[in-house]
Amino acid sequence: MLMPTRQTLLLVDDDPSITSGLAAFLERAGFDVTIAADGESALQKHAQSHPDLIILDVLMPRLDGRETLRRLRRAGHWTPTILLTQVGESTERALALEEGADDYLNKPFDPHELLARIRAVLRRSRPGQPSLSAAWILSSGNLLLDRRARRLLLDGKTLNPTPKAFTLLEYLMTHPDECITRQRLLDAVWGWEFPSGARTVDTRIAELRRMLGDDPNHPTFIETVAGEGYRFAAQVSSNLP
Amino acid sequence: MKSTSRLILISLLPVFIGSLASWVMATWWTNVPVLLFRLDLAMLTFLTGLLVSFLAGAASFALFFTSRRHIRHLVKANIEHEESRRRFIRHLDHELKNPLTGLQAALANINSATNQQERQLSIENARISIDRLTRLLGDLRKLSELEHRPLEQLPVDVASLLEEMVEAACSLPAHADRKVNLLFSRVPWPLSPVTGDRDLLGLAFFNLLDNALKFTSSADIVEVRLFEQDRQMVIEVADTGCGIPVEDTTRIFEELYRGANARSIPGSGLGLALVRRIVMLHDGYIAVRSQQSSSPGTVFTLRLPLTYP
Repeated sequence: MLMPTRQTLLLVDDDPSITSGLAAFLERAGFDVTIAADGESALQKHAQSHPDLIILDVLMPRLDGRETLRRLRRAGHWTPTILLTQVGESTERALALEEGADDYLNKPFDPHELLARIRAVLRRSRPGQPSLSAAWILSSGNLLLDRRARRLLLDGKTLNPTPKAFTLLEYLMTHPDECITRQRLLDAVWGWEFPSGARTVDTRIAELRRMLGDDPNHPTFIETVAGEGYRFAAQVSSNLP
Repeated sequence: MKSTSRLILISLLPVFIGSLASWVMATWWTNVPVLLFRLDLAMLTFLTGLLVSFLAGAASFALFFTSRRHIRHLVKANIEHEESRRRFIRHLDHELKNPLTGLQAALANINSATNQQERQLSIENARISIDRLTRLLGDLRKLSELEHRPLEQLPVDVASLLEEMVEAACSLPAHADRKVNLLFSRVPWPLSPVTGDRDLLGLAFFNLLDNALKFTSSADIVEVRLFEQDRQMVIEVADTGCGIPVEDTTRIFEELYRGANARSIPGSGLGLALVRRIVMLHDGYIAVRSQQSSSPGTVFTLRLPLTYP
């Protein structure tokens, strides 16, 4: 009987205590893991082993994570990548959009969270093609989100969401058909843990729904996953750079 | 000092010029019939010079003393800043030591555990230490990010935000049986909104509420009052707890400072520093009143500028 092929990961971090611990954890979770200690070595190993996904730290000697990712993308390699950093406000978001990472995770993190993120990115990745995270314009039915101009249009009419609500919708649209917990949304959109976390997210979701005319009981766009979080239910397509 | 002497010399210049002019006119032009008129003119020039010298001298002295006071103030502020930085590092060292020691102990126990129960207990202790470090790191990051994070400037309904934060604080397992009295002054006029970042203001209110509940027992009363005064929104978080020692009231807003009462209570030591920073970013003001002897209790007062249409 043929054993299913194990997916391969390239784990890039200059701290051996992190790579050895995470590699063992990810191997146990069913992946084959290759380790690289800096960006240059990561580019070489990527060329040799063609991994299914890259986990890339940002601060590294010789060649940092951001530059490594930029070089990969410039060379036309769209290997799904999770960048181990936080994406904060506007300038970083613009940078992130141009880098073309598929997801972000900020240290310190629970390895189980990394595993969940790896699985989600692999599930929605389209081999050899850029992901929605790298798209400048996202559209879903009559809804159009221009990430560069920070503009939102519904039926051709411009809407004016608060910056936070815009970023929240942007995150949901780049992760369609994925149940995203409130905690994850807080981490990715707010960057902070808020004491009234769930309520903070719910308030902004309510703002978005009001603006989009989305009925929570029969949603077109944002679906509530009871006890979990939210899911962008409609299909999303992208206009790539 | 050099520049001050130069200023004084320059300021005396009109006196010299005035004196010289009056001497020249009085000595050399005496053969002219309009002598008296010229003497008057010379005297007038002299007096004007004197007045200008006096004013310039006074200005230069004022400048000299102001700059000296300013330099003294800068030196003092620099010393305070250095001292506060040293205190911060001392406190950080302390706050890191404890969870790290807990982690080391947990690892040692995992190695020497003789049964599954002991091992499980050590793992649980390690997790508690990690949670503590994570909370500390999270709060440190918030403080540092507040320096450059763009502030959302939208109308915020403070009453509904306070209600939300009271609900969030009371829903924590540690405060499950607690109640907070809300007193909102809405009659005869409704409360105006304030302009600001709803999430950050919520965090500030939550930290004050969480502190009030943490440092009181279920026998105490915690009250939140909201009213308008002098074109400001005033938020008071009051409790009938044991109060804060006088020597701590001036320092509780410092990063990682833990007052005598707070050492045994879990927390990152950054909660009130975050509150102060958020309030300052909103052009507001925060103060604390507390007493420990008769009728002990504490009141934190936040003032935020109101938004008018």
